[in-house]
Amino acid sequence: MNGADLPGMLPEMLPRLWAFALRISGDQHDAEDLVQRACVRALERAHQLQPDTSPLSWMFSIVHSTWINELRARSVRKRSSMEWDDDFLENVADPVDKGPETQLMHGQIISAVERLPEAQRVVMLLVAVEGLSYQEAADVLEVPIGTIMSRLSRARQAVGALFGTPDPNPRASATRKDSIA
Amino acid sequence: MKTDDLMLMAYVDGELAPDESQEVEMQIRASSEAAELVRLLQASRLDYKAAFATQDLPPVPESLTRKIEAMARAHSAGNLAPGANDPSVPTPSVTSASAPVRSRLRTVPTWLAAACVAGAFVGGLFLRPGTLPLLNPGMPNSGNAAMASTGVSPWVTAAVGYQQLYTRDTVAYADANPAATSKIIDDIHRDDGLALRIPDLSSAGLTFKAVRRLHFNNKPLVQIVYLPEKGPPIALCVTKGAKADQAIASQVVDTMHVVTWRQAELSYALIGKTEGVDLDALGKRISNREVDRLFGDATLEVPALAG
Repeated sequence: MNGADLPGMLPEMLPRLWAFALRISGDQHDAEDLVQRACVRALERAHQLQPDTSPLSWMFSIVHSTWINELRARSVRKRSSMEWDDDFLENVADPVDKGPETQLMHGQIISAVERLPEAQRVVMLLVAVEGLSYQEAADVLEVPIGTIMSRLSRARQAVGALFGTPDPNPRASATRKDSIA
Repeated sequence: MKTDDLMLMAYVDGELAPDESQEVEMQIRASSEAAELVRLLQASRLDYKAAFATQDLPPVPESLTRKIEAMARAHSAGNLAPGANDPSVPTPSVTSASAPVRSRLRTVPTWLAAACVAGAFVGGLFLRPGTLPLLNPGMPNSGNAAMASTGVSPWVTAAVGYQQLYTRDTVAYADANPAATSKIIDDIHRDDGLALRIPDLSSAGLTFKAVRRLHFNNKPLVQIVYLPEKGPPIALCVTKGAKADQAIASQVVDTMHVVTWRQAELSYALIGKTEGVDLDALGKRISNREVDRLFGDATLEVPALAG
């Protein structure tokens, strides 16, 4: 697998790139621009794609860095959950073949991840949702693997606090549980 | 983040060796804090993938799918045999309700038309000029009309479309590597048979960024990219033109200013947005050889002679 194969792979990767772009940008129009620009950049640099690099991880990396550059260009330091465009998140449950409890659970999981701090949220999206290894996620975000693990641990503690059974010795987690929609 | 936390996460995920697990279990028994962390991490073992798979995301816009397909096809056109495995050009559904209006207006689609033209040639299809406006719904007075009326060559149309995808970011980190560039130019001279020179346009405030070998309709097409002090990159594109020399002509193709001429069996197109750069004057200077050759003659003398 190398850069010469990339053009043929892009259409196949598109749904996942689209979902990732939507999730990190929170806006359909931004996501569309983002994917398009990322694909242009990827094709320009296709020769840099190493045979031992997952093309999907590589594309995620370009989508992410393109988005970070865009945020910098807009002088937006951070996208808080309050800025999230809820247009496509209002109906998070898939009604097909899922019981109401499963739907509710899925909705709560998505909601819990979306409420994480941005750095942790992206790591969760890459590792827990997209199934990237710690090392691949580190490559995507261009941070050390230890940083990925740290962010993941913190993210999971936060999510766990929302989903865990109440501690016999109540802590902050007991109050945060109420925030689950 | 403490190493302990990472060990606890690995423990919860069953990634530790038995002896390491025992060590962690001792730690859990001894520390309520560790026990609490394990409780949280265990509670976080959820099926995120399944949950997000059910997320009701909007579908990939048709317009985006078409653009990426066309872009991929245009990019690989030089590597494909005519008609080989090339799907037919997607007929744009001009009334596609799912295509966001804002995005469509913001993303000037001339490049898409160009890519589709390229794809049509590669695929053995021909897109008649009359079909072009279909690619540009809602913008009847856009560049397509100009393209049709002024008879812009298909390769120029493709090059303009390609150039429209460029932003300053595209070439922000492109270093002009003299050794690699010399090699590319050597290949252009030898393999592509194009005896071109890389003009030094620094006197016009343009910094050379890259030279790229492209193909259009299975013919070599060289793109030389320069970055002005402001605004998007400018490209000088060159291909073979085995016709009589042609004087400089200037036109606007969609939002791009294009200066074309033909000289010594090479067709040139200088493409860019006129933000502080007089492309007409620049085109004249290039065609009159009033600009220096880049990288110094020493670097390129041999390949130039070979070409």
